[in-house]
Amino acid sequence: MTSLSEEVLLVVKKVRQKKQDGTLYLMAERIAWGPEGKDRFTVSHLYADIRCQKISPDGKAKVQLQLVLHTGESTTFHFANESTALKDREAAKELLQQLLPKFKKKANKELEEKNRMLQEDPVLFQLYKDLVVSQVISAEEFWANRSGGINNTDPSPYNNKQEVGISGAFLADIRPQTDGCNGLRYNLTADIIESIFRTYPAVKQKYSENVPHNLTEKEFWTRFFQSHYFHRDRINTGTQDIFSECAKQDEKGLKTLVTQGVKNPLVDLQSLEDKTLDEGYGICTTQPSTSNANKSVKDSSNSAIIKRFNHHSAMVLAAGSRRGELASDQASETSSTDGNSRDSDFFQPPVKKVKLQEAIEFEDLQRENRPKTVPLNLKKSDRYAHGPVPLQSQQYTTSQDIINSVNYIRHEMASYKPSLTQVLSSTAATSAIAALSPGGVLMQGGAQQAINQMVPTEVQGELKHLYVAAGELLRHFWSCFPVNTLFLEEKVIKMKSNLERFQMTKLHPFKEKIQRQYLSTNVSF
Amino acid sequence: MKLNIEGLLVYFPYDYIYPEQYSYMLELKRTLDAKGHGVLEMPSGTGKTISLLSLIVAYQRAFPLEVTKLIYCSRTVPEIEKVVEELRKLMEFYTKETGESNNFLALALSSRKNLCIHPEVSSLRFGKEVDGKCHSLTASYVRAQHHSNPNLPVCRFYEEFDSVGRQVPLPAGIYNLDDLKAFGRRKGWCPYYLARYSILHANIVVYSYHYLLDPKIADLVSKELAKKSVVVFDEAHNIDNVCIDSMSVNITRRTLDRCQTNVDTLQNTIHKIKETDAAKLREEYRRLVEGLKEANVARETDIYLANPVLPDEILQEAVPGSIRTAEHFVGFMRRFLEYLKSRLRVQHVVQESAPQFLKDIFEKVCIDRKPLRFCAERLQSLLRTLEIADIADFSAVTLISNFATLVSTYSQGFTIIIEPFEDRTPTIANPVLHFSCMDPSIAIKPVFQRFQSVVITSGTLSPLDIYPRILDFRPVTMASFTMTLARTCLCPLIVGRGNDQVALSSKFETREDFAVIRNYGNLLLEMSAIVPDGIVAFFTSYVYMENIVASWYEQGILENIQRNKLIFIETQDAAETSMALEKYQEACENGRGAILLSVARGKVSEGIDFVHHYGRAVIMFGVPYVYTQSRILKARLEYLRDQFQIRENDFLTFDAMRHAAQCVGRAIRGKTDYGLMIFADKRYARADKRGKLPRWIQEHINDGSLNLTVDEAVQLSKHFLRQMAQPFRQEDQLGLSLLTLEQLESEEMLQKITQIAHQT
Repeated sequence: MTSLSEEVLLVVKKVRQKKQDGTLYLMAERIAWGPEGKDRFTVSHLYADIRCQKISPDGKAKVQLQLVLHTGESTTFHFANESTALKDREAAKELLQQLLPKFKKKANKELEEKNRMLQEDPVLFQLYKDLVVSQVISAEEFWANRSGGINNTDPSPYNNKQEVGISGAFLADIRPQTDGCNGLRYNLTADIIESIFRTYPAVKQKYSENVPHNLTEKEFWTRFFQSHYFHRDRINTGTQDIFSECAKQDEKGLKTLVTQGVKNPLVDLQSLEDKTLDEGYGICTTQPSTSNANKSVKDSSNSAIIKRFNHHSAMVLAAGSRRGELASDQASETSSTDGNSRDSDFFQPPVKKVKLQEAIEFEDLQRENRPKTVPLNLKKSDRYAHGPVPLQSQQYTTSQDIINSVNYIRHEMASYKPSLTQVLSSTAATSAIAALSPGGVLMQGGAQQAINQMVPTEVQGELKHLYVAAGELLRHFWSCFPVNTLFLEEKVIKMKSNLERFQMTKLHPFKEKIQRQYLSTNVSF
Repeated sequence: MKLNIEGLLVYFPYDYIYPEQYSYMLELKRTLDAKGHGVLEMPSGTGKTISLLSLIVAYQRAFPLEVTKLIYCSRTVPEIEKVVEELRKLMEFYTKETGESNNFLALALSSRKNLCIHPEVSSLRFGKEVDGKCHSLTASYVRAQHHSNPNLPVCRFYEEFDSVGRQVPLPAGIYNLDDLKAFGRRKGWCPYYLARYSILHANIVVYSYHYLLDPKIADLVSKELAKKSVVVFDEAHNIDNVCIDSMSVNITRRTLDRCQTNVDTLQNTIHKIKETDAAKLREEYRRLVEGLKEANVARETDIYLANPVLPDEILQEAVPGSIRTAEHFVGFMRRFLEYLKSRLRVQHVVQESAPQFLKDIFEKVCIDRKPLRFCAERLQSLLRTLEIADIADFSAVTLISNFATLVSTYSQGFTIIIEPFEDRTPTIANPVLHFSCMDPSIAIKPVFQRFQSVVITSGTLSPLDIYPRILDFRPVTMASFTMTLARTCLCPLIVGRGNDQVALSSKFETREDFAVIRNYGNLLLEMSAIVPDGIVAFFTSYVYMENIVASWYEQGILENIQRNKLIFIETQDAAETSMALEKYQEACENGRGAILLSVARGKVSEGIDFVHHYGRAVIMFGVPYVYTQSRILKARLEYLRDQFQIRENDFLTFDAMRHAAQCVGRAIRGKTDYGLMIFADKRYARADKRGKLPRWIQEHINDGSLNLTVDEAVQLSKHFLRQMAQPFRQEDQLGLSLLTLEQLESEEMLQKITQIAHQT
């Protein structure tokens, strides 16, 4: 199947797949398995197609590795070499672990894009359902022709789509479960990891620094969950914790946020008070001294929790609402630090003015100043909804044509000679007339428009889908011509079989269904 | 619209009016007519400020000789600015209606920090720094030296103002803080001194409480304001605390140490001056002998330190001989300081009255009462003679001398408490001497005596009768107005039980109870699921909130809440809280929804409004009693009982309820607004608590919602919110809670309006 030479990274023998012994090959871009004694791969997956790998628990008799694809299919390999099964599996797993993330990003992006296209285009989605889900053609083939569309379409119209924010409780979703033997299990999904990264850029940085050079992914997350960073109520004990730096960074981020101050002067608690009492005056100015010395451990852990919640919420909010702005925000921030006070002096008044005006406005005391609008009053709303029908293009006949045809008919009539040997019998003629007159056998449908009403909309819809699907398949088919390469030849053959399959799986059932229900109608495809 | 308020033509800058606004103006006019004081409670969001301004401005125009000035005091800077903006709106309306621009001058006054335009000084962050720096550039001797040595920096804005600004009065108009700054920039004048100078002839002055109530500042700023002024204290529900704060002093060991350095510096400076310029000291002495109260003629910019006692208590005689020379005075201060140090070395709590203290000081170190009374003044004189630029450095010695003057002036209404350590940390010695004022009427008395009408108003002043008692004045009008509503836009619910029937309460015995904390968490969780946008929750104290948050965290409640809304929490750091607040508003704005956990009596509960979607529900966890174990509070309660016959419990409940009302009132800021008010404590159901809530909240608590479980409250809330979510148009209000002029003038409506004001 593949004539191109590929770099083979790992070969594992004695691997069973579907109860057949064979060899597993891990190559640069794909994983493949061929049965023993044959030089063809019966299983071959691109890494980009693989969503994740799963392994059987250590205690189990069968040492297995399962690959789950984005399409939802899965392939299971059974490592059957008795002595080295576990080792083999581990080796394959490790290698996959390193390879998959590389492709994942690309795959994810593409997948997202495809997903988006499907969601935005109902016709395409239907097509996808008709062709791919029903296995007429594979997803690959389906997208092959469209990939140009994926990559080339100008992404700008999609950019102003609303960003999906992050759930505030994403950390809560990783509830630990006890695994029965004195340990905790955290279930992480790609979504949660994404959320963690988006919310805490510091963690992401740590991740890219340490994984996979220093730590495996698993170790990284294990440490994450053990860290004081995750459990903020625990007081920091060890400094080797790689996340202690994150905490520091967060602290710094929070501080800059705080020092940046607030834009809305009405919520600025610091400048709220006009004339604060001088130190030493007033009733309860003796606050407990702020040094940590007399603060109990519990107190400081409590305030750490509070800080953490504020920070977390702020980060979630920032990640959700201003993802795009963030970069530019920071850029402007750095540039304006020197002239900070001056700047705020210049920019504050408008915000302040607006906020003040908002605060003193009594909208209900004012007469509405807006120009009175006349509410739209529709007598027949459906008429409004449907609107005028666009003119159909018609074939016009020129007057010359008409004159010509009249002349022609006249000529025909003049030269008409009945051939009396071929006349119908009168009974046959009557029956034919009966059949052709309204209500007759052949005129059952009445006028053309009746077919609209006769056939229920589902059937119509289905027909339409089939039509579109068939069109799509044919498009694939015809796109192969002229057949000048081996690949195209293969494709033509495949497309032909696809078309046949389509006829078998889709058209025939539909035809039968129609025939069953509308016997009188003569259907042919 | 133009209104006729008992014969007075009032311009009201809106097309419609709320009935209670009309009623409020009626009462206000009666107060002004009687030239007496008034206490008026009107719900927040019913246009109290604009009613006040409309009526008083109309009154000033009609009777320019009766009322010459309006002094409007508010609490926070944003509040002050809001008032000025409303005034601007009113004045624009006047111009539009009458076609002529009136010659009203109205301005806001705030501290230097908010008004300074000097590029270097205004970039300082703290008010104290700004003040100190300003003083070092504008003090009279600095300016005098500048004449001989032009290299010495002075403030060019002040110089410009001093040479030109005084001749031309500020042109008529409305000046907010920013307008003053802009004007100052244009002219090159100092806006702060311009404002301080202009308030003398302005028609309306808007500034904060302290300028009138704190004797240290009032003496400088408001001394010459006309007697025929109307004084309005807005948001006055906490006025007693402001009064008390302005007269109280705390002295710690650190204060004394710093004072010690101050005294040393003084001594050194005196030595130095003696060598170089002994004539200066001799001159000061000579003047003091001659009985000049202040040795130098104080200039506007110098009077930075004023007497801490009220003007009528200041002795009008010469400084006694024992502290007349500079060295003697420094020696005197040293002795006093040593005495205070010895007092702070106590092992147990001491509480005594001012006379006891004076007796003790006389016995131990032979310090008389008389020189003590002159301490503050003498120090001022000395600092001025020594030409000390940065007075901020001398805050410690100023504090001590102020204390000396206060303690020797007032024999009543104050108490001295010396605590060797904090109650919570008995092992750590941290001695504090509290000299605390217990009688708010002392500070506010001159205001009542001096000005012809003083109006105390707020959204929450219930029970009304307690204010005249603790502030010791006789009001001519006392009224509480309800909010007329076309739809019941507030929904007070008292949640007394959890779903498991556990009684909910923040009282001391059950404070740590797991079941209560869990049920509180449940309440918040359930509410977070049904209330749109913002929820604000208040706790009784910061410590309580910390504990609850910690145990909610452990129980996983907060995580569940996070599924519904983001969580923001008030901290003790103002900057951090401001950031959290802004993020909270952002989260409400973009539809994510958020919860703000906050503290009653905190900055948020006092200064921030949660209009519309910023606060669709307020949950008050517990009754916000003040920390009752404090000795200062105990002393104050005792004093109230003895002097004013106010029972301790009454006062505590009153205090707790006014704060609770403040908290829940934050969410309703108008008739188009709506919000849930959830009182999560079974004690709120009791008549003595409920009865102390403002009438406009009380009347919407029905008997059915006195002891709800969490589930029941959720059901009621759902129903309420669904109703409130329906469109609410102006037409729905018209004739009921919103009136046109014709509707207002109808006989029937006037009848109704008389019932809105609830006299006590």
